[in-house]
Amino acid sequence: MKKRKPSYIRKEYIWAYLFVAAPVLGFLIFGVAPLLYSAWLSFTSWDLVTPPEFVGFENYVEVFHDEKVYKSLYNTVFMMLGIPIGMVVALLLAIMMNRPLKGISYLRTIYYLPVISPIIAVSLLWQWILNQDFGLLNQTMWSWFGIEGPNWLGDASWIKPSMILMGVWGGVGGTMVLYLAGLQSISSTYYEAAEVDGANAFQKLWLITIPLLTNIHFFVIVMGVIGAFQSFSQIYVLAGDGGPEYSAATVVFYIFENAFKYFNMGYASAVAWVLGVIIFIVTLIQFRLSKKWVYND
Amino acid sequence: MKRKPSAKLGLIFLLCFGMLLSACSSGNNGSGSTTNGNAGNKEAETGNKPQEQVKISFMGHGSPQEKEIFMKLIKSYETKYPNVKVEYTSVPPAEYNQKLSTLVASGKTPDVFYVSGPQFYKFAEAGTIQNLQPFLETTELFQEDNVWKQALDRYRFDGTQLGQGDLYGLPKDVGPWAMAYNKTMFEEAGVELPPAEVGKWTWDNWLDAAKKLTKDDNGDGKIDIYGGANFTLEGAVWASGGDFIDYGTGKVTIDTPEFTNAMQWVADLRLKHNVTPSPEDEKALNAYSRFVAGKVGMFPMGPWDQPGFWDLPFEWDIAAWPVNPATGKAGTWVGSMGYSVSSKSKHAQEAFNLAAFLALDAEGQKQNYELGQAVPNLIDMAKGEFVAYDKAPANREVFLDIIEDYGHPPVEFASKDTKWIDTMWQEAGKVWDGRMTAADWAKEMQPKLQELYDKGNK
Repeated sequence: MKKRKPSYIRKEYIWAYLFVAAPVLGFLIFGVAPLLYSAWLSFTSWDLVTPPEFVGFENYVEVFHDEKVYKSLYNTVFMMLGIPIGMVVALLLAIMMNRPLKGISYLRTIYYLPVISPIIAVSLLWQWILNQDFGLLNQTMWSWFGIEGPNWLGDASWIKPSMILMGVWGGVGGTMVLYLAGLQSISSTYYEAAEVDGANAFQKLWLITIPLLTNIHFFVIVMGVIGAFQSFSQIYVLAGDGGPEYSAATVVFYIFENAFKYFNMGYASAVAWVLGVIIFIVTLIQFRLSKKWVYND
Repeated sequence: MKRKPSAKLGLIFLLCFGMLLSACSSGNNGSGSTTNGNAGNKEAETGNKPQEQVKISFMGHGSPQEKEIFMKLIKSYETKYPNVKVEYTSVPPAEYNQKLSTLVASGKTPDVFYVSGPQFYKFAEAGTIQNLQPFLETTELFQEDNVWKQALDRYRFDGTQLGQGDLYGLPKDVGPWAMAYNKTMFEEAGVELPPAEVGKWTWDNWLDAAKKLTKDDNGDGKIDIYGGANFTLEGAVWASGGDFIDYGTGKVTIDTPEFTNAMQWVADLRLKHNVTPSPEDEKALNAYSRFVAGKVGMFPMGPWDQPGFWDLPFEWDIAAWPVNPATGKAGTWVGSMGYSVSSKSKHAQEAFNLAAFLALDAEGQKQNYELGQAVPNLIDMAKGEFVAYDKAPANREVFLDIIEDYGHPPVEFASKDTKWIDTMWQEAGKVWDGRMTAADWAKEMQPKLQELYDKGNK
């Protein structure tokens, strides 16, 4: 027979379980239950008004024949161009910020500010910046360079670049902080050795800094891809109808439209599950590939 | 030894569950007015009050201004029916349908709420809303001959089809989409004013006037003032004798020559004649703002726009829509929202009374039009004091002509699923910016739209 534990320890156990129970229960009720419910819904046709009706795989068959699923998927993937752009800008910023200059923390804060701003507010701000006739961007281009700017949000070929521009601006601060942390963890001995060998600044960047930051590149890419697959709010604000010719609609926007505009909850669930599987597979591939290029100390 | 803690653990879990569940159900009590009504019920049974105290919920949408008007109207209702308390919620218009459907799905449908078009159809079919006919027969407020037939018919449903049978809703308003014009601008440019009587002005006259009004004010090569804006495709198509869809047969008819010619004409206003802003320009600054800023000569407006125009620094009025010279017909749409009563309402009579009061009570209708929100639902009032009302626009009878004569319900009104028409508008950009002719575009789009319509509506 095991020795009986002292009562104060048992009491602590109970408290521990109690504290653990709250989030676990919360997750079960608000996380797992809706998940299972939506899995079931994806096999039904439900308009919120009449009871769900079981339709088997019909929704999934339709997903694969739906032009708009492909279009929104294409848009979503296209907008991922913002990830490498953001990485380059963030890395350059991080290198610049990684100096013991006076007031550098203020600069870092400024670049980080967009990250903590609510995305809706940020989108509204950009709506004003990107306005064709009165926007800050086009006005500035016109008065400084005499260039007539494009219709950023109203033109099917410009709206995606606009979204990327905004995404890069909004995300670069977060990535920069990650890179800063990475830069500071690189031991100065590498650079000293390289200097002895006569390496120039570019060689140091290319052959030491960038390779030694691979685990951060990896993290940024994985999180960026997942985030991009899930982007919605800025589209909802800046292109409430999906943009001209539906050229700004992301998959999540399409899910939202199906669920809350057309009230096809079943179909929306099916698209959501397909998206979930896509994200899972893409992330899995990234992890597999990471073994070939991510360097860990 | 081991059992004791786990039993306790189970208890804790149970407690947590209980807490969560009770939190949920208390949330129910708070927001669901029906339960409050229940409490009132019991009170009435046990006590000896002559009339039970009843609480009903009412949900609508609109501007802050509209909300204020409704607060006033609801107060008058509560004075008239002192045993009823109305819980009023006003939701931003863009989120309204979403919120309503979620409430319906979770069984918390408000007792009275706005509903129109596709959603009305769906709700009527699914039995979410009450047949109001039995109630209407008992109220003296409702004189069928004195309410716009064009408005009432939107809320009829016979079990399968819209437009006939019993009333499942009462019109909140009728919204004739009229052609407003900047009178001062016309006079300054020496252009003849558009007439109020339909048939005296054709598309050619409209275009002519628009050309004379369009100008580049500061000489930078960009047009600053456009003669017209938003000449609606719907209006042009209907004036040409075409339509978007034939609801009788369920056939999308955008590939007819009537449709494509009308569409091309609208597109050419910008592409060939450059008298209207492009859809992109529209996005940058919409027609409403342009008109208010004095940068557009003619553009369509609804009655609800009136209060916003009463303080403008220039004179304005409304004119009849120009007719297509080939057919001699004009067209535009008449919007409408309706009040419906939830079929699950525990206080259907009181809920109906509220809907009827808002839709039909003379005092309420008077307040509504005086505040510039709508054309009265009551025909005698509309043709009498409304037309004679001394605020702009002077040609108020244009509103009535549109309702009676050449106004159509909006295109989507009888589609349960509107994906097809939304897709049409999304893809129409190819015609508006001249990448495709209307005819080519329609040939390509028709099968796609037909498929979408069939999928969602059959």
